[in-house]
Amino acid sequence: MDDVLEKMFFIRGPSDSFAPQQLSEVVAGLSFEGNPPGWLTLELPGDAARLLTASFLGQEETEVSPQEVGEVVCELANIICGATLSRVESETTFRLSEPRLLIAGERPGGCGTAMHAVRIGSGTLVVNFKMEECACPCSSERAS
Amino acid sequence: MSYRILIVDDSPAMRSFVRRVIHLSGVDVEEFREASNGARALDILREHPVDLVLTDVNMPEVDGEQFLERLAEDDRLKGIPVIVISTDATQNRISRLIKLGARGYLSKPFLPEVLRAQLEGVLETIRV
Repeated sequence: MDDVLEKMFFIRGPSDSFAPQQLSEVVAGLSFEGNPPGWLTLELPGDAARLLTASFLGQEETEVSPQEVGEVVCELANIICGATLSRVESETTFRLSEPRLLIAGERPGGCGTAMHAVRIGSGTLVVNFKMEECACPCSSERAS
Repeated sequence: MSYRILIVDDSPAMRSFVRRVIHLSGVDVEEFREASNGARALDILREHPVDLVLTDVNMPEVDGEQFLERLAEDDRLKGIPVIVISTDATQNRISRLIKLGARGYLSKPFLPEVLRAQLEGVLETIRV
């Protein structure tokens, strides 16, 4: 994830080992088919999303539109997911769904989810990633 | 020499990014055209001359692989060089796309300098 942010978003931020308490106004996610299947979500505050968008598009933060923010955050989810899956040893080709913005209550959850967080400006980008091969008895929950 | 470039990607953000990187690279671009999928890209190529195509792989309707296949089947279009940009960096995918005729391959994330180097390499073959 750090590689993605540095190379294409020109941002380098310290990693966090836990998700902070923050209002994540922008949430994007996608699923992938393959062996195994899974999903990825990312979430961040609005200010951080605008900073990322401005950096990606080469604009001032005040110039970016909400639509552009949504498009860039979705593309970020796509790139992180694809780059992560490229490192997974699998005999099948992974097929990524089209990333989309999620609303409250749509975030998937459950055990076996890996989390990574990076400080972006005054907020934190949190990425959750899961490959569906957890054999534990816990049930998956939807975040409220 | 200035070039006519077609960018094919279902992400408007990615199309903007690629356009900006090409612009900053110093390559002289006469015209940019954009398409959100392979089908639309083929329509554009049949109507307008293009010197180079940069395309994503995972797109609706006609994806990047299908796009390369259809280009190769069309005598009028098969000589147009294509650079593929994709999130899939596996050797299987890269090999398959090169076999389908891609002249270059970039996996995301990439540094702008890497895109510039690929562009210059392919455009040099056009100049020659």
